[in-house]
Formats: sequence, structure tokens, C-alpha cells
Amino acid sequence: MNEKVKVEAQNIAMGYGGNVVLRDVNLVIEPGEFFALLGPSGSGKSTLLRLIAGFNHARSGRLLIGGADVSGVPPWSRNVGMVFQNYALWPHMTVRQNVAFGLEERRLPKHVIADKVRAALALVNLPEYGERRPSELSGGQQQRVALARTIAIEPQVLLLDEPLSNLDARLRVQMRNELRALQRKLGITTIFVTHDQEEAMTTADRIAVMDQGVIQQIGTPMDLYDNPANRFVANFVGSINLLPGRVSNAADGGAVFDSPVFGRIAIARAPGFEGEAEAALRPHSLVLAQAPDDSRPFWRDGVILEREFLGEFVRYIIDVAGASLTVDRPHHVGHPVYAAGQPVHVGVDTAQLRLLRTA
Amino acid sequence: MRLSSLARRLAGAALLGALGCASAFGQALSIVTSFPKDLTAVYKQAFEKRNPGVRVEIQNKGTSAGVAYVREAPANNKPDIFWASAPDAFEVLAKDGLLARYDGGNPAVPAKIGSYPINDPRGYYYGQALAGYGLMWNTRYLKAHKLPEPREWADLVKPVYHGHASISSPSRSGTTHLTVETILQGEGWEKGWSQMLQIAGNCAAITERSFGVPEGVNNGQYGIGLVIDFFGLSAKASGFPVEFHYPSVTAIVPANIGLIANAKSAELGKKFIAFTLSDEGQQLLLDPKISRLPVLPATYARAPAGYPNPYGGTIKAKVNFDSELSEQRYFLVSAIFDHAITFRHKELAAASKAIHDASAKLAGRNPKAQALLKEARELAFTPVVGADKVKDKAFLALFRDTKRDAAKTRQITGLEQYWNSVARKNYERAQELATQAAAMAR
Amino acid sequence: MATGPGQAGYTRAQLAAALLIAAFLAAFLIVPVGMVVYVAFAEAGGGFTLSHFESFFQISLMQESFWNSLYVAGMSVAFATLIAVPLAYFTVRFRLRGALIIQTLGVLPLIMPPFVGAVAMQLIFGRSGSVNLILQDAFGAGLPVMDGLNGVIFVEALHYFPFVLMNLVVALSNLDSAMEESAQNLGASGFRLFRRIVFPLAMPGYVAGASLVFVKVFDDLGTPLVLNVTNMLAPQAYLRITSIGIDDPIGYVISVLMIAFSLFALWASALALRGRDYATLQRGGSSLARRRLEPRQAAAAYAWIVCVLLLVLSPHIGILLLSFAKVWSFSVLPDAFTVQHYLTVLEDSPRMIWNTVLYCGLAAFFDVVFGTAIAYLILRTRLPLRHTLDFLASAALAIPGVVLAIGYLRTFRGLEMPFTGELLTSSWILLVIAYAVRRLPYALRSCMAALQQLHVSLEEAAENLGATRQRAIGRIVVPLMAGGILAGFVTSFMTAAVELSATIMLTASQSAAPMSYGIYLYMQSAAGRGAGAALGVLAVLIVALGTYLSHRFLRGRAADLDRQTQDE
Repeated sequence: MNEKVKVEAQNIAMGYGGNVVLRDVNLVIEPGEFFALLGPSGSGKSTLLRLIAGFNHARSGRLLIGGADVSGVPPWSRNVGMVFQNYALWPHMTVRQNVAFGLEERRLPKHVIADKVRAALALVNLPEYGERRPSELSGGQQQRVALARTIAIEPQVLLLDEPLSNLDARLRVQMRNELRALQRKLGITTIFVTHDQEEAMTTADRIAVMDQGVIQQIGTPMDLYDNPANRFVANFVGSINLLPGRVSNAADGGAVFDSPVFGRIAIARAPGFEGEAEAALRPHSLVLAQAPDDSRPFWRDGVILEREFLGEFVRYIIDVAGASLTVDRPHHVGHPVYAAGQPVHVGVDTAQLRLLRTA
Repeated sequence: MRLSSLARRLAGAALLGALGCASAFGQALSIVTSFPKDLTAVYKQAFEKRNPGVRVEIQNKGTSAGVAYVREAPANNKPDIFWASAPDAFEVLAKDGLLARYDGGNPAVPAKIGSYPINDPRGYYYGQALAGYGLMWNTRYLKAHKLPEPREWADLVKPVYHGHASISSPSRSGTTHLTVETILQGEGWEKGWSQMLQIAGNCAAITERSFGVPEGVNNGQYGIGLVIDFFGLSAKASGFPVEFHYPSVTAIVPANIGLIANAKSAELGKKFIAFTLSDEGQQLLLDPKISRLPVLPATYARAPAGYPNPYGGTIKAKVNFDSELSEQRYFLVSAIFDHAITFRHKELAAASKAIHDASAKLAGRNPKAQALLKEARELAFTPVVGADKVKDKAFLALFRDTKRDAAKTRQITGLEQYWNSVARKNYERAQELATQAAAMAR
Repeated sequence: MATGPGQAGYTRAQLAAALLIAAFLAAFLIVPVGMVVYVAFAEAGGGFTLSHFESFFQISLMQESFWNSLYVAGMSVAFATLIAVPLAYFTVRFRLRGALIIQTLGVLPLIMPPFVGAVAMQLIFGRSGSVNLILQDAFGAGLPVMDGLNGVIFVEALHYFPFVLMNLVVALSNLDSAMEESAQNLGASGFRLFRRIVFPLAMPGYVAGASLVFVKVFDDLGTPLVLNVTNMLAPQAYLRITSIGIDDPIGYVISVLMIAFSLFALWASALALRGRDYATLQRGGSSLARRRLEPRQAAAAYAWIVCVLLLVLSPHIGILLLSFAKVWSFSVLPDAFTVQHYLTVLEDSPRMIWNTVLYCGLAAFFDVVFGTAIAYLILRTRLPLRHTLDFLASAALAIPGVVLAIGYLRTFRGLEMPFTGELLTSSWILLVIAYAVRRLPYALRSCMAALQQLHVSLEEAAENLGATRQRAIGRIVVPLMAGGILAGFVTSFMTAAVELSATIMLTASQSAAPMSYGIYLYMQSAAGRGAGAALGVLAVLIVALGTYLSHRFLRGRAADLDRQTQDE
């Protein structure tokens, strides 16, 4: 197996004409890391991936793979394996021929190619499928062949462009786990592009959240979830309630958040800024009760507007002082549910509350 | 683009290879001819067999297209031989200095057929076969339509033949041009055109190609056609239910062969001409597919029984064809024919029909109606260009010159347009008058 | 050599290929056609003049030819529509046994030169043709379908309707069944459903086919010549140039008018189609469901289809009979049969068969090479002016064969070939070039479509795995385009093999003649008629065989590609 390499993007900018696609992208992906680029469509994540593969060209900045600047290197000389969203299996070749392609282009001896193809197909659990045509395979099998084709050349970096988006929900979870296991086994530096936050969080060691060509935040999945850097990240990673207000520092080292919905509440940890801010609260951190109790520091009155049953929990939309709050309540057999129009009390845990500076 | 460059290299190699093949044939003899493949193929084969290594290239052009082709070929790249029926085409070529003199004719060929010289006295071209013009008809067609067999050109003006005859346009066919000239010379300009117009009025079609006529008669589209003899004879020999007859107003005229000036393979060309005039070459004409009349009298001895023999008196040619006269008005006659007949054939045929109908209805009665009918005939069957005008040298010269600038083009097209519209007006008026006359019969 | 496309968006090799193609098109399309236009407007001593046009419009014959050409082209489109629309609709929309055979037979007319069809049609529908002889016998009157312009319209409509048929079949097959079902759901049915939903949606296909028919008929020279119709533009151009000479300006005026009208027809169809390129099959959609017909309806449909097919195939039947006929004259059927004509042809003219294969093969080969290259340059690079290349190559569609030939004869007059010293204008190479230029638009469309279907990721995957751009083209792009390239090759070959307009003007000698010209030559003598027909049958067989083989090859490939694209 190749030595694990580091991938670095330094001040990369890219655009077509006046249209900016990437803006000042700085990124360090550690050797052997499973790294996800997460963002909505048009956020620049695929562009960045294709840039690493050599299909796009940066207007400025440097791209280093294993410490070497690859900006002028054509795709075929980069040894960066990419799995395409649509798999891009060649329909005129058998599975074996597809997998052998990259090895043939490297002018390896025939028996070496045969061995490596066999190994790659075994690795993706398709040892018997060599003579089939791509059109004779299911979606999941095609995905594996595409993967086998890419890892057969033992790339320094593995790029995955929305590899799971063409699979149905059940298969997606299965393939996600397989991918993760395979990456662990090979230890290859892997960059994974997805718009699905669950996919990114379950597979990646670290995630870069992108929007409008700008990296919004880089961090571990939990880091992003617990401490979103801004409104975009907070919204994109999981669901969240955002309540506008003002923050001011308190004498005890904590802070005070003053909002129309909650009124003045004390925050134990100061956010490090003052002024306009938004309070971010995950729906499951709020609790509902017929009457306030001691489990939460403070309670507010509300009225149920809507109710959605989601299986593991029930999602309520609640009117609190004119704002709509989303509250997720775990569901158990026999648990009482609230009806629309019913008045309730909403309990807030200030320790779960994050303050975001209003942009 | 490695692939396409490879492809280009391959294609280049293929091209060069093919070229190499073509030039490997050795000496080439290039013949421009109006004759059908049946005839040329026989000569090509025979000549190539006699002269190994020689390749005969046949270029099929209509007579006038052939003349244009020879004229326009660059001086250093002319074809070698021009071989066609119409003597006037050769006159045109000779006058433009496009033919070379050659004195290798077969001495056994008589100097004249009737009063017509078989070979050009100056040696520019030689008669290679003889051709008479006549009527060809489909026997099944005549029987089905209960038509009598025609014997003379004049027969074709009869109402009974309306819509059953066909002729091709002289501008497209040298042989038709000869037929038309023969009639014009035999009957005189005015009377000849009148007869021509009446025949044309009875035609079902004015065909585009000279072969269109025999083809139409062969397959029964038309009952009768005005054709050169070998079209009829060869069709009959090929098994078609057709007959051919020489009318008395016919001219026996040689079909000719000539060496083109500055020919690339002049020696080979001379050899070919000598071959076509030799005993062996003449005998090839008797091939049923060809069925042409040899110029060499001795060859007739080997012809099948019943083969027409112009030297033996089976064809009586009343007209002494004047090729100089024909040549002088070559383009003029074609242009008049096209603009008054070919392009206005619909109106002419309609006028003829109306006249035939009226005269049948009137059956000689009603003098007032007869006068109308006479006027209609005059309108329909008088040529757009009078006999006096044809004697005007400047007028003729206008049509003879082929170099045309914008002004001249306008002058000629203006004239042609004038004929065209006069003809149309006349025919329509004639039809009107004839219809009026017919109405008076009631 | 090439590195990545970089900011320029193209490599030096790509630029070189583009320049080479541009040079070819300039030399053999732009300059000759430009020459024709120039002569039409030039004074004898140089200088601009409209005098030739004035002369042209002074001649009432020319005016008449002009209107006749328009009339014939328009009516041919109308009749082609009448034949094609029901055939397409019935076979696509209803469950009919043998729909594929019907569609295949419907394309057969295209693989026979229209003038050959005209000869056969004379024998069947002419004044004394089989049909009229029977009618005369039975009713004492015949149908003058083959007289004058009617004959031209009849023959052209029968020959060119497949263009409408093929385009319509494709358009109808690609219609999403949801389109029709939603209309049915909202209460439309029967003819209203067809008129309001199905036909408007298939309209782009129809217009594309119809405009092609118009241009083709406008351009056709052989059919009017064989039917002795001269008062149309193409025959007039040919007659002026061949009998008066290459210097006759009227011929050039006609040429310019013919170009103008072809351009106009194509432009009008493009205009009519703008913004109407309805997305065909939508994701997850399925094509129109085939309805079952009630027995009585089915019987009526079959009867009608059989009648149409008989009509459509009558030229083939006629030419087949003629090729075996000993004598066929003024009779419903030939008197006796023989194989002599085939022997004559095989002994006499194997060279012509070879010439057709060589010329059309070379021309089609050039076409797919250029077509593939242009498609690649347009779809895969950002070369400046690359769309000009597409435009130029496609412009050949609007240039009638007669006009291109006139342009060649005039432009290359007196030009000698290197090495052989032969005149370019009397060399068969010019014929190959004319075929290649005129058929390039077909091959180009085919290659473009093939490349468009090819997701760019298939190439990128190859590059990503270490294949250079050249190797990716060689190993991935071209093999995957093979179907489209082959289809382009076949179309080019097929249409070049049956073309006569340019052939008749550019063929210099018998030994260099392709089959189409050979048939025309044979047809010029009494004994040659059967042989010409036999050659015609052989031509049809060769083209049909080639088409069939490539279809078989394509079908297997198409299945693979279809499944692949459906997964995307």
C-alpha cells in the first residue's frame, strides 16, 4: 500500500468569468483521514473535489498532495482515484476490463493486472462478477465495481463524489458502512463529497461544511453539531431553533441573552461577543410538560400548532410568544401526546443553548 | 487528436493506392461521346483487346454538353476524340479550332451518300456510321388505340395521332436537332416550322433526353416517336414490339468521329479512328444491340436479311442535308424550339386539341367558324421567327457566339422571353378561337 | 503534446484538428459556393451587377420553373406527410404485429436512387403502365399520376417520406406516456387527444423531417430529368450549365436561388422549433403505452398499411420485375423473364459496383472522422469559434448537389492533380469530396448525438485512472460512440450511394462512374434498360445489406447503453 499522504489547499480561488465558484479555500486533510465535504448543491464542494482530481483549474492558490504542488499536473498523472456520482462504468467493457483499465494504462505486466483485479473485486465482495457487463449489475454492485476500479490503482488519495446518492435508502446505509470499513482497512486518505449531513456525520473523521464557495466550518461531526460556527452550519447540520435577541456580558463571567421569546435569561458561559445574536437550540433539548417542574431552569407557556409523528419521536411546532419553536419529544408506547391547540409549557436547558453572532 | 490523424493518414494512403491503380493501366484514350453504353462498350472492349495496355476512357455527354465540355477543357488537358451523330456539332468544333486534321480515313468508304459528303473534305472529321431519321412505333400501343401505322412526318399532324407521339428537344439531343433541321430543310423554314408545331401539338411529351423518346415507345408510354434509326432498329432487335420506318423526307447523314486538337494521346486517337473505320470496326455496328448503318458498303454483305442499306436503295432520302446552313442556325433553332415548343408544350397541345375538336365538329361547314378556325391554325402553327429574320447575319451571330457578357445575356434572354410569351399568347388565343368555332357548330 | 486543458480550454492538437477541418470546408464548400454566388452577381469584367437576376426574372420560363419547384417541393411534403403520419402513429401507438417490419419497409425507398424509382413508376403508374392498362380495360380511363409535375410529386413523395416517418417514429416513441395519460385523465380522447397532445408534442420531429423533404425535393435533379420535366430550377441549372456552358450566368442565378430557398426552409424549420424542443422521456417515465385495437379496427389499419406499403414499394417491385423482364412493353406484367441482365451487369460493370463502394465508403469514412472530431471539439473543449465549425459543416445541407458541382467545376477549372497531371474536375476524387461535404451534416448529427449521450464522467474516469486524453478518446470515447459513428457512416454511405445530382455533373468517364451514374447510363439504351434495372437492384441490395448489418450491430450496443443511461 502507498504511503499515506496529506492533502492541502492553500488560498484556492476559482471561477468562470465573473462567477466565483470557490473563494479563499484553505484546508489541511491529514494522511489517512476520512474527510467529508458537506454542503448544498452549488456550494462548490464538487468543484473542489474535481480540482483535486485535476479536472478543474484554480485561478489562484496552491494544491499540495503529499507536500507536492500538483497544480500543473494533468489528471492522468496525479494518482488520485475518484469514484463518480454516476459510477461512470464503461458499458462496452466487462467488469474485469473496467477494473483492469487503470492498471493497463500503467503498463503493468499481465499477470500483475490479473492478480490486482482479482484482489480488488474480492475486496468489494464481487469476486464472481468479472465477466459481467455493468448493465447486468444492480446499483449497489455497480457502486462496488466503481470502487474496485478506483482502488485497484492504489491511489494516494481516494475521492468519492456523492457515491451513495443513486442508491435506495436501505442500501445507502449498508454501503456507507462498507465504505467506512474499507477505508479503515486501506488507510487511504479519502475525501467524500455529500449533501447529506447524516452521511457525512456517520462516515467522516472530519467535515468541512461549504456554502457559496466558502468553507464555513471544519471540524469533527460532533464539534459541528454541538458548536456550529454560524447560522448556516447550525441549520445545515441537524435541525435547530434560532431565536433572535441581544447578548451582553454579565459580571460573573457569564452573559445575559435578552430576547422577545424567552425574555432575559442568564448564560453560564459568555460567547465572547456582545450585541445582536441568535440563540440556537436543538429541538430535542427542549422539553414539554403539562406544568413546569425542576428539570429545567426556566419554562415558557406555549400552544401546540402542529404535530408530526416520526416514530422515534413526536415533533411539535409550538407557538411561544409569537415565535414558532420546534420540539422533539421521544416516543414510547402509551406516552401521552398533545393535540393541536392544547396549551403546554416548554422547558429550556440553558446549558444546551448556543449563541451565534448575527451576521 | 491522435485517432483522427491516424485516420487521415490511412485515408491518404488509400487515396494514393487507388490513384496508383488507376495510373498503372498505362496509356489512356479519352473519348467524349453521345452514344449509349451498348455501343461504346463494344468498341472499348474490341480496341483494348487489340491494343493491350491501352485504357479507353468513355465520357458520356449529350451532344451539346459534349461540345461545351470540349470547349471548356483546358488547352493542355483536352480529351482525344469526339464521337457523336450530329455533323453540325463537328462543324461548331471545327470552326472554333477544336478539331485536328487527320488523313487516315478508309479509302473504301465512298465520298458521298446521296449528295452529302460522308467525310469532312478538310479532314477534320470522318463519317463513321450512317444515320437516317424516322418514325418508330409500338405495335401493341397502335393496336390497342386502333391507330394506323404512320409513314410520313406529315401523317403525324393528323388529329388521330393527338397525344400519341413524342419527340425530344433539339437543344438536348443532337439527333433530334438533325431531325428538326431535316424537316426544316426539306419543307422550308415556314412550312417546316408549321409542320413541326403541328407534330409537337400532337405529342404527348417533349422528352428531355433523346433516348426518352425510344424509351417511351419501348415501354408503351407513347405510341409513336421521332427517332434516329438505330434507336428503333436496336430496340426491335432487343425484342421490343416496335417497328421503324424511314419517311421520304429524311436525310441520310453520317455520324462522325474526329480527333480533338492538342489531344493528349493523339497517336492513340488516330489509331482508334482508323479502327472504327476499318472492316472490323464497321462490322461491330451490325451488333443487334447497336444496329447502325456502316459507312463501308462492303460491310452490308455480312448484315442480316432485311437490314436497311442506304447504298442499296432501301432508304430513299429526299433531302440533301446542308450542314453549313444547319451549323449557322444551330443555337437559334434550338432556342426557338425550346421557347415556342418545349417550354410551352402544355398550351400548344391544348390549342392543337381544340383545333382538332373544332375541325371535327365543323366538318367543313359554317364558313364563319371556318374562318375562326383558320385564324386559330395560323396563330398556333406559325413560327415566332420569320424566314426573313433567319437570313439576318447579325441576328444569327448573336446566337452563335457563346461568350456572353451581361448585356448580351440580357439581349438573348429578352428575345427568348419575347418568343416564349408570344407563343403562349398565340396558343391561348388559338385555343380560344377554336373553342369559339366549335361552339358555333352547334 | 497535450497537457490539461488549462485556462485556455483547448490544446494545441485540438486547435490543429479544428484548423484542418476548417481548411477542408473552406476549400470544398465555402470557396466553391462563394464562387457561384460571386459569378451570379459579377459583371463580365468584374464589378457588381444585378443584371443577371434581372435577366432571370425576365424569362417567364424561369419564373415558372421557380414556382414549379416551390409547388413540387411543397406538395411533396404534403403527400409525404399523408403517407408517413398514419404509418408512424399506427405502428408506435398501437399494438400491431410486425410494426418493426412496417417501419423498416417504410425506410426502404431511401436506399434507391429516386430517378430509378421514377423509371419503375413509369412502368407501373405511367400512361401505359400496369395500373393504367388495368384501369383502361375496366373503366376506359386512366389516372394521369405520372404526367408532368404530378409525376415528380408522386415519385418524390414516395421516395422521401421516410424522412418524415423516421423522425416521427423517434419523436412519438420518446413521448412520455404520462403526457398522454394526463390528457386522458382530463377528458381528452380519440382524435382530439392526437390533435391536441400527441401531434403537437411530436411536432419538432415532424418539422425536422418535413423541412428535410422540402430541401431534398428542391434539390433533386434525376427525377425531373427522367420524367422529362424541365421547367423546374434544378433541371434548368443543369441544362444551362451543360448545354450553354460553365460561363452562362443564368445557371449561377438559379444556383443562388436554390441555395436561398434551401436556407430559407431550414431557417424556417429552426424558427418554428425554437423553444419547442420538448424534453422527451422524463426520468422514470415510460414511453407511450401501445393500445390494442379491436379486430375490426385492426383489420382496417392493416388493410390501409398494406395499401400504403404496396404503393411505397411499387418502385422496388417495378425495378425488380424490370431487372428480370425480357420484354416489358405495353403490358401489365413483363412477357417473359430472364437472368441475362444480371449476368450482363456482373460481366460488364463490376467496376461500377466497386466504385460505389470505394467512393461512398471513403466519403462516409471522412464524414465520420470529421464528424467525430467536430463533435468532440464542440462538446468537450472551449475552443473559440468552435460552433462556427458546426455551422459550416451543417451548412452543406442547404447546398444543392447541382450547385456544389457547378461551384467545383468553376472553381477548380483547369486545376491539375499533383503527380498524375489529371484534371481535378475529371477526377473521381472530386466526387468523393463532393459526397463527403454533402453528407457531412448527417454524420455530424449522428456523432454529436452519440457524444451528447456520453456522460463526460466516463472520460474523466479514464483520465483519473491514468489514461491521457488521447488514450481516453481512443479507449473510451470512440468505442462508446461506435454506434453513433456507425449510424453516421451508414447514413452517409447510403445517401451518397443513391445521389445523382452532383454525380451526373462530376462523373468524368464510364470507368470512374459509380453505380448511380451507371444505372442512368444503362437506362439510355433499349438493350440497357434491363441491365440498368439489374444494377439498381444490386445497388439496393448492397445498401440494404450494409444497413441491416449495422442495425444488428447497433441493436446489441444500444441495449447496453440504454441500460447504462437509465441507471443515471
